Amino acid sequence: MTAIVEAHAAYAMQALDLSQAYAGHTVLDRLKLIVEPGQVLGLVGRNGAGKSTLLRLLLGLTQPQTGQAWVFGDPALKLSDAVKQRISYVPQQPDAMAWLSAGQLMDFVGRFYPRWDAAYAQDTLQRWNIDTNKLMAKLSPGERQRVDLVRALASQPELLVLDEPAAALDPVARRELLREIALRAGEAGTTVVFSTHIVSDLERVASHIAFLHQGRLLLHCPVDDTKERYARLWLPPRFASVIGEIPALSHRRHADGSSSLVIECDEDQHWHQAVTLEGARLDVLGLEDLFVEIAE
Amino acid sequence: MCMVVLIHMDASLLIIQPTASDPIYRQIVDQLRRLIASGQLVSGETLPSVREVAGFHAINPMTVSRAYGLAESEGLLERLRGKGMVVAARRGGGDSEAERLRLLEPALLDLSRKAQELELAAAPVLERLQQLLGTP
Repeated sequence: MTAIVEAHAAYAMQALDLSQAYAGHTVLDRLKLIVEPGQVLGLVGRNGAGKSTLLRLLLGLTQPQTGQAWVFGDPALKLSDAVKQRISYVPQQPDAMAWLSAGQLMDFVGRFYPRWDAAYAQDTLQRWNIDTNKLMAKLSPGERQRVDLVRALASQPELLVLDEPAAALDPVARRELLREIALRAGEAGTTVVFSTHIVSDLERVASHIAFLHQGRLLLHCPVDDTKERYARLWLPPRFASVIGEIPALSHRRHADGSSSLVIECDEDQHWHQAVTLEGARLDVLGLEDLFVEIAE
Repeated sequence: MCMVVLIHMDASLLIIQPTASDPIYRQIVDQLRRLIASGQLVSGETLPSVREVAGFHAINPMTVSRAYGLAESEGLLERLRGKGMVVAARRGGGDSEAERLRLLEPALLDLSRKAQELELAAAPVLERLQQLLGTP
């Protein structure tokens, strides 16, 4: 174990063998993850796949049943104040200080961040249609998440963790958030980890993707590679007996006896020889189709 | 040649479709190749910076850098000190008709496959295509 404990200081986030189960239902199954500084990792998965749980475990907000997570080399469950200052996390339902207005909240929390950008906070609240005089208690859940997103961005963190940020934003504000994420990653080297169910958002700004499915991360690779590395192989019914021998991320049997498999090419861009079977068809899929193919 | 007219391509000229089956970096390289082949981008014209493209389209700057790098290695672009990326010199006034037609090949193959799936004869497809292209 000591070798691993020494290895993680260079990573923004690291997880080893994380497992979590609720009421006998396995949510995360010995999950491994490394997020390098400057990466923008988009986390996708079906509702209930455990995306929020994973983010909380990575940040040490929940104790895993097995395994461990680290943030900038600190054990996630014992983050130092120095590391905490470098992180901003926006949950789906932020705990708000209900007795403050959004404006007062910004003044208050801004004091705790050494790199607080007050002008950015003020401008963005205005652009995102937040009445800064209204008490947090009177804002809708979506508005509260927008306020928390502004808080997180204005603190200029080195690591930004966002749980379904798109849910609270209209398309214009969402595009603006994506632009912020993209440019900060490119210029300030900000590391971003965000969960989303909007695959096109992920395809725009993420450098890396991870698909959380049945407790494991699938398709964890650079976004650009996904479309070139994975494809759907369709085989006519007469090959039904051999599909079990083809290594695949998913096997689907259709009503007519034909099969669809999601397969991965090797390092030299070669596909499994089954693609040359007579009648076989290899289709390049968009990410969304790829997820559906695997998750169904 | 001390008078240099700076022509600057706008980031909005690129069309990015995140959900297409081509990765975004390839979409950028393919569009640059077409714009240069047609002469819409001329030799010496400066490309928008990585930041401008990434900001305008809300895409990851690394994707844009990768596309520019690939276009540079293909000889489409060159990096000029102090000016950033420009359209490479030898590509000047557009490619020959044969070369431009070659760039259309993937779209034509796709079209012909779809026409066959629909069991359409060539004549009505060509007629419609002619309408779309306008009479020469």
